[in-house]
Amino acid sequence: MMSSVPTADKKSKLLVYTIEECPVCGQKTKRAFQVGDFVTKESVPCTKCGNPTRVSLVYAEASKISG
Amino acid sequence: MYLALNDIGRGLNKLKVMKDKSRKEAIDYLINVGKAPKDPTERVDQFLDYVTIMPVDIDPQGLVGKIDHVVSTNNDRVRAEVATLIAPNNPVTLSISENLLEVASSLNIIHKIVRHYYLLGKKTNSYFTLIQLQMIMPMIIQEADALLNAIDSFKVGEPVGDGIGPVVVSRFMAGKEKRIVAKDTVMATTEYKGRTLYVLKAEGPMGYVGQPGIGIKKIVEEMGVKPSAIIMIDAALKLEGEKTGEIAEGVGAAIGGIGVEKFQIEEVATNQKVPLYAILVKQSILEAITVMRKEIAEASDKVVQVLNRVIEEKTKEGDSVVVAGIGNTLGVAQ
Repeated sequence: MMSSVPTADKKSKLLVYTIEECPVCGQKTKRAFQVGDFVTKESVPCTKCGNPTRVSLVYAEASKISG
Repeated sequence: MYLALNDIGRGLNKLKVMKDKSRKEAIDYLINVGKAPKDPTERVDQFLDYVTIMPVDIDPQGLVGKIDHVVSTNNDRVRAEVATLIAPNNPVTLSISENLLEVASSLNIIHKIVRHYYLLGKKTNSYFTLIQLQMIMPMIIQEADALLNAIDSFKVGEPVGDGIGPVVVSRFMAGKEKRIVAKDTVMATTEYKGRTLYVLKAEGPMGYVGQPGIGIKKIVEEMGVKPSAIIMIDAALKLEGEKTGEIAEGVGAAIGGIGVEKFQIEEVATNQKVPLYAILVKQSILEAITVMRKEIAEASDKVVQVLNRVIEEKTKEGDSVVVAGIGNTLGVAQ
């Protein structure tokens, strides 16, 4: 049996997002990751209550590329 | 034999491309982001061939201490050398430079070892050497590919899958006063349902793993804390067929690496008769060292629930509990 060298899954691309959470009202917003983002970083004011939000998560999601 | 040689040869070429790419990426990062005052290429090449000689193990008494000493010497040397390669900069850039050089060094070693057995098998006409190498080649390429993919995450400071432990404990530390308990390791004190929690992780958002073994030892032996439990949260390699982000509970020291930290934690737990509990988040090697996947990040809420339940079930009001978030804390502050 011949071995085969695995190749990366070219059908999906990872998109990285930053989740900002308001510690007061709990509102979560999702935006594209920017260099310099890190978990617990203080971010923009909450659009609902105006308190500063914090980055609660940074994660990647697969986005399917057609074709 | 020709088929085996051909197959290994193709894999070896792939490894060479990966090795060269990782070296170039590290050099580019040092120049473009680290603002290296002079061309770092020669020093990087020297760095890639640097060896760490492990202590002799024919007399195993005191071996862990010796390994710890050699590894610490190496880590200190790496950081000091990398610091001379880049302009005085922020610690995040320094830690990313260290991580990138470690990736390049690992790929360099993998390529060298595979090339050694390929040439040895060819030279000695040893079919069995070649066939064994051919059989494990897909796994070697997979691991090398994971290392190469890690570069993209490291360069921009994105949290990696291995950082799930630090992500969870950072929720308990945010806004609390922090203190350094070991090299690159911070601790904060908080409360949960009448229990005092001593929460520790590596210092982020730098790409460090810290020294949780020494940190826990310090909390218990020097600060005089008598914990009723030590709970460790870490990423764990999943078996094929297991789902990414699955949570497993258990007992024992949940920590990888060469074994020094694990030994230190087990020793302090055994001496003080403190139960060790583990909460693990399953992921593949690729997922552990590349940007954190959604399934892993979203497991953090469930891990907090499990952690709270373990604290409630295994300890009582007034008790002290040590909670350690284990893993690379790149992109995760506290």
